[in-house]
Amino acid sequence: MTTRVGALGGARDLFGRVQRVFARERGNFTWVYLWSAPIRAMHWIAAACILSLIATGFYIARPYFATSGEASAHFLMGRVRFVHFAAAAVLVMTGIVRAYWLMVGNQFERLPALFPVTGKNISNLVKTAGSYLTFRPDKQPNFVGHNPMQQWSYTAVYAMAVVTVVTGFTLYGQSAPGSVIFRAFSWLPPLLGGLQGIRVIHHLMTWAFILFIEMHVYFAIRSDYVERAGVVSSIITGGRYISIDHSYEDYDIAKVPSHPWPTGEYRAPGKSE
Amino acid sequence: MIMPSAHQWVEGETLVQHFESRGISRREFMEFCGEMAVILGIGSAATPRIAEAFEAAKRPSVIWLQLQECTGCVESVLRTESPTIGDLLLDVISLDYQHTLMAGAGAAVEKAKQAAMSANKGKYLLVVTGSVPLKEDGMYTVIGGRTAKTVLEEAASGAAAILALGACAHWGSVQAARPNPTGAVGVRDVIKNKPILNIAGCPPIGDVVTATVVHYLTFGRLPAVDGEGRPLFAYGKRIHDQCSRRAHFDAGQFVETFDDEGARKGWCLYEVGCKGPATFSPCPIFMWNDRTSWPIGAGHPCLGCTEPHFWDTMTPFYGRLPDVGGFPVEERADTIGLALAIGAAAGVAAHGAATVFTQIRRRRSTNQVPESTSEEESHNG
Ligand code: HEM
Ligand code: SF4
Ligand code: SF4
Repeated sequence: MTTRVGALGGARDLFGRVQRVFARERGNFTWVYLWSAPIRAMHWIAAACILSLIATGFYIARPYFATSGEASAHFLMGRVRFVHFAAAAVLVMTGIVRAYWLMVGNQFERLPALFPVTGKNISNLVKTAGSYLTFRPDKQPNFVGHNPMQQWSYTAVYAMAVVTVVTGFTLYGQSAPGSVIFRAFSWLPPLLGGLQGIRVIHHLMTWAFILFIEMHVYFAIRSDYVERAGVVSSIITGGRYISIDHSYEDYDIAKVPSHPWPTGEYRAPGKSE
Repeated sequence: MIMPSAHQWVEGETLVQHFESRGISRREFMEFCGEMAVILGIGSAATPRIAEAFEAAKRPSVIWLQLQECTGCVESVLRTESPTIGDLLLDVISLDYQHTLMAGAGAAVEKAKQAAMSANKGKYLLVVTGSVPLKEDGMYTVIGGRTAKTVLEEAASGAAAILALGACAHWGSVQAARPNPTGAVGVRDVIKNKPILNIAGCPPIGDVVTATVVHYLTFGRLPAVDGEGRPLFAYGKRIHDQCSRRAHFDAGQFVETFDDEGARKGWCLYEVGCKGPATFSPCPIFMWNDRTSWPIGAGHPCLGCTEPHFWDTMTPFYGRLPDVGGFPVEERADTIGLALAIGAAAGVAAHGAATVFTQIRRRRSTNQVPESTSEEESHNG
């Protein structure tokens, strides 16, 4: 071992230490397929949409760049709004894909996965929350898919998206009274203090999304590192490795060899296909 | 019976003859009809139809109640645009009761009102300005010894239709702003069984009233309305979508303070609290004071006065987002949001660090070498 000096060396030392603490465990692993291609595509397209909606939304809320000269020479707010509305339309399309997959997807993608309400799920939710609060990832119940806390937070973010999309389209419809969009949401403003109420909710949801994104990114990376759960790669490649020496709350590992993964994606390590 | 005009419309005289006696030429009359056709959005081809209806018009009897209000709406309506429409309107209709404009007072006019109401039962048009206070048995507005609610209910029972004129009659206006000490409500909250047209605004533009009466006389029914009961010909579009400053909005050119360069150049008032994006009103088109100007044209942000509860939902008038339950969202929400975002970032960083350190400590105390994770430990330890 060489002794490293300086701030950079210290940081690398620390990083190495962290890596060793959460070193990859040994044993027998199997690769399971979790997220179908449309779900993965939807995830990243929606992420891009939401980021651009946040950036353009903040400009609409507080137009910090100003242009000078003749109005006819510029279309800054117009363009920003165009990007906002285009991203909004794409976001809705990803929502449609997701809604369809709630019905036709696999065990981890279907509607019931969004509502972990059984007693066992609740007790696992409490256990998971406890392990997060006491910094004891080793006390966490094992899940192949999402744990109940993740499930509920994704249910929440879908609800947030619905609120934002509904308030957004309500505002959007105003420029064309009598249009389909206008009429579809005309019942809403009177319930929420008029268009200004809608605007406030839409504005506040933006902050809710920002908070969600921060925590989502942290927890995803954390599970990758700490739980070795491979969730980050699972939303890229579609699956992750799980140890076959452990039991899982949402998956009967014993049955795997005789019951291959429903989509036929099960691959046991070491065995040639 | 009480006509402010010096030239009474005598029985048997046609309207056109009457106009002639007042020095209004046929040509001017046709111009008026054409203008009304345009305001109503039915196209100038409808002009002869309006003229015909007017010529044959039987003067509708109108009862005008002023309840809990400031008389501003009456002022606004009497200042309607040429050709002396205010006069014309008052000539065309038989204004049988209007306690501000009437020469008489007291028991005599109350008696006259009763007489007009029973003579034209089921046929008269009821115009209402002002709200109806309901708290303390309605004693905040008492006219001729009777509460506004009683007076309104009585007059409404024999009316063919009701024009709720102004924000007060529409939903209560300033006196209905939180905490609404007198329990003020609009006509639609008291009268449920009559067609009610809301001529929104604080005050409304007089031309809207004139055009509505013209529509009623021409087609025998009230004009089409939106979800708020406001006539679509006037309130069918947002200010923001008809605004003369809109090009500056799209260009990204905004007034930031009322004395800056942008203000002098007539840029968009969005950042100083313009409620045009949330307000349906004909202000940019009909304008005010004989089409002289209008608030945004004169450099002031729209307050949103044609929208229900605007004193609560459109305030602060010089801020873009409303206060929620007294909480200044505009000033604070972004600060709080940013603080939460930074807090969450710090929180996740701290959580990550704490996780790492508790794990290191745990491994040390159990004397485990990280590289050789033992089997009894959970796989994700
Ligand atoms: C994650 C999703 C979204 C975020 C973060 C977001 C963010 C924002 C923000 C911050 C504003 C400014 C609000 C204000 O203070 O006035 C805004 C305005 C607006 N948003 Fe969104 N938005 C999202 C989705 C949508 C969707 C789905 C639509 C649907 C068409 C939409 C339509 C609008 C409209 C119409 C406005 C007002 C624009 C104007 O009046 O010029 N937004 N958005
Ligand atoms: S001044 Fe008001 S109504 Fe006009 S474009 Fe700007 S925000 Fe819209
Ligand atoms: S500009 Fe707005 S606040 Fe002003 S009169 Fe018109 S609708 Fe009312």
